[in-house]
Amino acid sequence: MSIVVLEHVTKEYRLGEHMVRALDDVSLSIESGVFLAIAGPSGSGKSTILNIIGCIDTPSSGKVHVAGHDVSGQNPDQLASLRARTIGFIFQTFNLLPVLTAAENVEYPLLQMEELDREDRKERVQEMLELVQLSKYAKHRPNQLSGGQRQRVAIARALVTKPDIVLADEPTANLDHKTGEGILALMREINRKLRTTFIFSTHDKKVIDAADRLIGVEDGTVRLLGVRKEGQWAITNVARKAPAAQAQGKP
Amino acid sequence: MSRLRERLQDWFDEWKKTARLDYWLALRSVTRQGRRSAIGLVAIAAGVVSMLLAAGFFEWNYNGQREATIRSRIGHIEVVRKGYMDAGAADPFGYLIPEHSPARKLIETFPQVDTLAPRLSFNGLISLGESTISFLGEGVDPDREKKLSGALTILQGQNLSSSDAKEVILGQGLAQTLGAKVGQNVVLLTNTKSRGIGAVEVRVAGIFSTVTKAYDDYALRLPLRTAQQLLKTDGVHMWLVLLHETSQTDSTLEKMREKVGDDSLQFVPWYDTAAADLYNKTVELFSRQVFVVKVMIAIIIILSITNTMTTAVRERTAEIGTCMALGDTRRTVMRRFLAEGVVMGLAGCIVGVIAGLILARVITAIGIPMPPPPGMAQGYIAGILVTPRLVFDAVVLSVVTAFIAGLYPAWKASRLEIVDALRHAR
Repeated sequence: MSIVVLEHVTKEYRLGEHMVRALDDVSLSIESGVFLAIAGPSGSGKSTILNIIGCIDTPSSGKVHVAGHDVSGQNPDQLASLRARTIGFIFQTFNLLPVLTAAENVEYPLLQMEELDREDRKERVQEMLELVQLSKYAKHRPNQLSGGQRQRVAIARALVTKPDIVLADEPTANLDHKTGEGILALMREINRKLRTTFIFSTHDKKVIDAADRLIGVEDGTVRLLGVRKEGQWAITNVARKAPAAQAQGKP
Repeated sequence: MSRLRERLQDWFDEWKKTARLDYWLALRSVTRQGRRSAIGLVAIAAGVVSMLLAAGFFEWNYNGQREATIRSRIGHIEVVRKGYMDAGAADPFGYLIPEHSPARKLIETFPQVDTLAPRLSFNGLISLGESTISFLGEGVDPDREKKLSGALTILQGQNLSSSDAKEVILGQGLAQTLGAKVGQNVVLLTNTKSRGIGAVEVRVAGIFSTVTKAYDDYALRLPLRTAQQLLKTDGVHMWLVLLHETSQTDSTLEKMREKVGDDSLQFVPWYDTAAADLYNKTVELFSRQVFVVKVMIAIIIILSITNTMTTAVRERTAEIGTCMALGDTRRTVMRRFLAEGVVMGLAGCIVGVIAGLILARVITAIGIPMPPPPGMAQGYIAGILVTPRLVFDAVVLSVVTAFIAGLYPAWKASRLEIVDALRHAR
């Protein structure tokens, strides 16, 4: 079952007097439960794909389906509600709220869910902090935590709503190698345990090696698709201006 | 109209559900971002302090003038015969009330009543040697007036000694015009109740002044008994009731009207009397000036909060983008920022009120020397009086202006494009 489908998505924006084409007719289908890396040099369009899947950016043309919802034509409030319930975000710069403690940061996305009372929220926060092994740091504020710990808080925050998809924009870029590997291992473990779909952008080979699906992006188009089976990558090159490119396969 | 009503109702329902969370988060932001909040807080507090001091200074002056007027001339409540206020001047003998009566006894039993003094008002001519001028006379009970006219100052000589002494005290201006000195005898001439002319020779016992110069220019006082003999009557025009506290006036007035139940009597509060006219006009004039001060302070608060919050929105752009990515709607973002403005306004106000109260004490202890105001004879030492009402005004002013000042930055925050906002992360 596809959890994300992009059909002929094009994204253009104005930079000064020029129109820049960030994505050019991209079509994708992403299976539920995959651990997918979107790779490419900076400016290739990988962040734009991630933003469009995350419903924080809208395509200039084309159709987008996320977790069974046709996203095109939804208003900002509808998109906000979709993000709140189906998508978790992990950022390169962690983006924790500096005035809140680790536990409060994790709790934040739950605050707008009216069906959860205080007790439910506390329980879930506790569960998530345990998952990322930060229970001891619940009362610490972000500036009292190391980079790796902050990113763990961010992961807990992304997972606390039990989303279908977690999007991570270069999640290890601001971390040293060892910490980065720890974070990747943690995400991989969660992916296996909770069957949550992870989609992340990266240009780090180590990160790509941790993935089981790969989309290579260059100049706003999909250039290659990869599926890993029994430790071996099966790579399909996609010709420029090919018709619908597909990234498929069972996890 | 009904659609607007529905929307307001919706907003209110939403507010009820979200307010606790919004204000809790706002409190976090304000208290944990110390330095940024401090600048805004100081500006608001400074505004509140200046408002309290300026308005408190005026308040002290109102209060001083009010008490002086009440305690030198009119008491808190005048009891007269119905119609006296309108027609008494033209027909002074048509509106007499008895000096003693059951109603007076009843009034004197009220616990709020400090003292009750009867007065007989009349006018006539006063002569000394070659000069004769008109005067405004009041027959008073010297014992009772000691309390009621506490703010009446004897400049020379002495006050009236007993209620049947053949003596008079003259207002400062009247004594000057007449050229009268303490110890001299003057002759008073007036119409009597029986349409005749009455005359009496009395000794000038003293010269007085009150806060109202216009009154001092024409007024004289003589003992009630002497005045009654002069007018050939045993009645009086009014009972002046002095209460323990000025603030009790309205409630006591109501109780008196109810309990005494005498339709021929009229109970007039001090602020409705002609003597309070100057006070009322002064308050009206100064209130306008205080209003201007308040407007200026509101502008200071609006500018400082708008500035602090615009900076906050700029510096926290990535944070706003994050919150929106996590699913906060534009409305939520706007509500949260508005709440921050209000919390800041409230916090600044609390600091300002505390500082203002302390400063008001200090300044009052030192005192502000004042020149004689128009219509008054002497200068005085002013202070600053911060009333609960002023504090309430300050709170409302700062919270309301903080809310208004937050509108634009909060709206701007809510309109950020998420992707652009997230790019601000460093």
